[in-house]
Amino acid sequence: MTQPVPSLADLQVTSEPPESRRGSGAVARAAATVVVALAASLFLLFMLAPVIGLVSAGGARGMGALTRDAELRAALTLTAATATIATLLGVVGGTPVAYLLARRAFRGRALVATLLDLPLVIPHPVAGIALLLVLGRASPLGGALYAAGLRVAGSPTGIVCAMLFVSAPLYVSAAREAFVRVDARYEFVARTLGDSSWRAFRRITLPLSARGLTAAAVVMWARAVSEFGAIVVLTYNPKVASVLSYDRFTSVGLSDALPVAAVLVVFALVPLLALRGLRAAREERESV
Amino acid sequence: MISIDRLTARAGRFTLDDVSFDVPQGAYGVVIGPAGAGKTTLLETIAGAIPASRGRIHLGGEDVTAIPPEQRRLGIVYQHAYLFPHLTVFENVGYGASTPVVAREMAERFGVDGLGDRSVKALSGGERQLVALARALARRPEVLLLDEPFSALDPRNRATARRILRAIYYERRFTVLQVTHDFAEAGLLGDVAIMLDRGRVLQAGNPEQIFRKPASPYVADFLGAENVFAGVARPIKSEGMDWSDGDGDAFVEHAVAFTTGSLTFYALGDAEPGPAHAVIRAEEVALSMDAATSSMRNQFQGRVIELAPAGAITRVTVDVSGTPLVAAVTSRSARELGLAPGVNVVAAFKATAVHLC
Amino acid sequence: MTRFLRRGVPRLSALSFGVVVLATACRGDASRSRATAADTLVVYVAASLARPLQPVLDSFAARTGAVVQRESGASLEHARKITELGRVPDVLLLADHEVFPRLLMPQHATWYAQFARNRMVVAYTPRSTHAGEITAANWTDILQRGDVEVGRTDPNLAPAGYRTLLMLQLAERHAHRPGLAAALLANAPARNMRANAADLAALLAAGELDYIYEYQSVAEANGFPFVPLPADVDLGDPAHAADYGAARVEVRASPERSVEYVGEPILYGLSIPSNAPHPATARRFLAMMFSTDALRALRSAHVDMLGTPVVVGTGAPPEVNDAARSVPR
Repeated sequence: MTQPVPSLADLQVTSEPPESRRGSGAVARAAATVVVALAASLFLLFMLAPVIGLVSAGGARGMGALTRDAELRAALTLTAATATIATLLGVVGGTPVAYLLARRAFRGRALVATLLDLPLVIPHPVAGIALLLVLGRASPLGGALYAAGLRVAGSPTGIVCAMLFVSAPLYVSAAREAFVRVDARYEFVARTLGDSSWRAFRRITLPLSARGLTAAAVVMWARAVSEFGAIVVLTYNPKVASVLSYDRFTSVGLSDALPVAAVLVVFALVPLLALRGLRAAREERESV
Repeated sequence: MISIDRLTARAGRFTLDDVSFDVPQGAYGVVIGPAGAGKTTLLETIAGAIPASRGRIHLGGEDVTAIPPEQRRLGIVYQHAYLFPHLTVFENVGYGASTPVVAREMAERFGVDGLGDRSVKALSGGERQLVALARALARRPEVLLLDEPFSALDPRNRATARRILRAIYYERRFTVLQVTHDFAEAGLLGDVAIMLDRGRVLQAGNPEQIFRKPASPYVADFLGAENVFAGVARPIKSEGMDWSDGDGDAFVEHAVAFTTGSLTFYALGDAEPGPAHAVIRAEEVALSMDAATSSMRNQFQGRVIELAPAGAITRVTVDVSGTPLVAAVTSRSARELGLAPGVNVVAAFKATAVHLC
Repeated sequence: MTRFLRRGVPRLSALSFGVVVLATACRGDASRSRATAADTLVVYVAASLARPLQPVLDSFAARTGAVVQRESGASLEHARKITELGRVPDVLLLADHEVFPRLLMPQHATWYAQFARNRMVVAYTPRSTHAGEITAANWTDILQRGDVEVGRTDPNLAPAGYRTLLMLQLAERHAHRPGLAAALLANAPARNMRANAADLAALLAAGELDYIYEYQSVAEANGFPFVPLPADVDLGDPAHAADYGAARVEVRASPERSVEYVGEPILYGLSIPSNAPHPATARRFLAMMFSTDALRALRSAHVDMLGTPVVVGTGAPPEVNDAARSVPR
């Protein structure tokens, strides 16, 4: 059973479209490009102008205030510390969950993933109230913690809880994406070469997804730093930077709130830039 | 050895349904079948990536169905090398090896020890597969699973990789199960061929046997048998025993007259009267310019319709009583006989060359 | 054509970016809220008054068809929105009438009307520790105990906060126990502080706190049992204004600024700011606010409304002046 030899007729290429049609297509494409360029510019302006404005309005005074304002220093330190702890907790607890969601297709997986995203859509004060109901002194769990001497509301613990609750979903979904991008076959090959699941995860999947996981952690940290509504319900004092800026604004005015906000932006830039720099360096070494 | 017993599994769209076959210790098994047949699924279920919902897997005599992959003492090489991108060549090869020395030896065998500390990203396709093979074999597995490992390589690299693998295979005599879509390769390599389609085993056995005696016209068609005829089989009881051409199959129950279209020829074997298919390999059909007195029961006048030269072999399609019959002859013979469309020839084949299914 | 596109598009993007930047840079002076609909009423209300006021706002909306936009929060926060952000409401109701002369007059408002009183109390819930024992006689002891959680409002942000401090000083005077105020304050630490009276009440309701220093109106509105305080302590009786004046407190808002507060009777004040976006609607609302029905509604919501409002300053609209001159109800 041999194939018939294709004849020249079959190989004939379709002819070019006539001049006029080609011209009008180009005009439409040009128009589309302009629209896209305009939209992108507006978007960039919208996103960058407030931050640039804020830093230029209060940045210099804010940095100067740092030396004199112990409360501001304390707020920044507290914000950094609690956000970092919350992020660590989120990474430790969220990574296994993200891995499970990425690798195992279990029944109800979609439901679990959706539930985990819920804290993102709950209004922030409502999230704070929800946490208070579960961790507050009057609740079973909270009462037990209180009796054991661990205060949640009114303490840095409450801050960490609020930050963790509202920002962990970001980490889990981004980490899940990072794992999905690592072909499961790499892990499996490692297993056939003698690695247990844990070892294969540690030696293969983790290094290959490290970039994505780091990015996810950065996003979570950034979100934690910026949280206000949920924190203020649980813990007003000691004040994190967001609460302090609100406090200063209300009690004194913009002139005092701007420097706080500006300093916070500048300080938040440092770890964000550092981590992006780290990732760029990693990009050189590996790619999946 | 590999012994699969009624294996059933499912991975997404791909299923295995009641698959059973054996590959003896040290034998080279080949899995063939069309795309989507479940060949990769079969390998991955044997390796433990996919859980078996029913059935058992025995490797080296041990029931490994419930044992995790890292303890099954096997190696797997895919068409894509899946080299760990963040490790060097040497780290890849040595990943599962017991000692660095073993890894180095294996790297040398495959000629990749020179690449040693390089990142795997700089390697060519051929080098990657060699490293992947070295990596799997450095662990000294008892069973090696190969999923079309050479099909993405150019002919030269393919030959090299095959050669080295065969050499190591002959030395170590582990059991191999290789998936291939190239049946010629299967015929060359394999001791056992398993034909898979839609998750089921269509036929399993010696490749030569499958080729000569496909279990169904579908199998025959897939294997590229060129003469597959649908028709009616009619056992001829009257001719009884001793009716043989000296092929060794001296004692058969009865001869069979097979009619397709207006062509009737004879076959040997057990066949129920009624509709059946007859398969004749093109290599079994001989052409001559005139009818010779010979032992062949089947000789027919015909006219050449078409010639398809392919290197040393030319496939000649002959119209015999309205039925096209393909004969594979050497191109040289075709020239010497002056075969061309329209030429009258005699096509002949033995009754034993006809396989009924 | 394609060549132009390849080079022109980046240039075009830069140009459009520049145009947009220029356009926004040339925007004029600070934006003012413009009337979008004929009948809109923007109300800034102190947190402690928000709940009792809501039915009055609702019935105003129902009767006139106006759209009411209510913002609730700390009195000082409202003041900042006007003075710093240029967001001016139609009606402003604050828990401390002093905010008007101190921050808002004469630039943002020329008059205000005192319209309600309030008192400081110690509120609690049946769940609170020692709830069964507490009385007007022993509250100062119970609120010093280590096993109770006592909360108060932030003096920087809310009048209730600095009023608590003043009240504690007066309690110390009343009880002739030097150091009492400091001791009580020490047991109401920063971690139990909240930004405004409503947040504090929420925390008590949630069981997170045992006792709070709170306005009586808020306590009653939430159904909290409370310990009433002596008239010369609770900042509630104008007749005791002189006693209240003995208390002074300095609140440090930031390292550079501090404010001094002097004790005086708690009076709520309201006004229509000078640049209110819908002044006519605002006046109509105030007419309704001082009507007998509204008075009754607010009193039943535990707001201690004055019989007649007391107007301070000049330029108040007739709706307010008429109410001020009317017979006390």
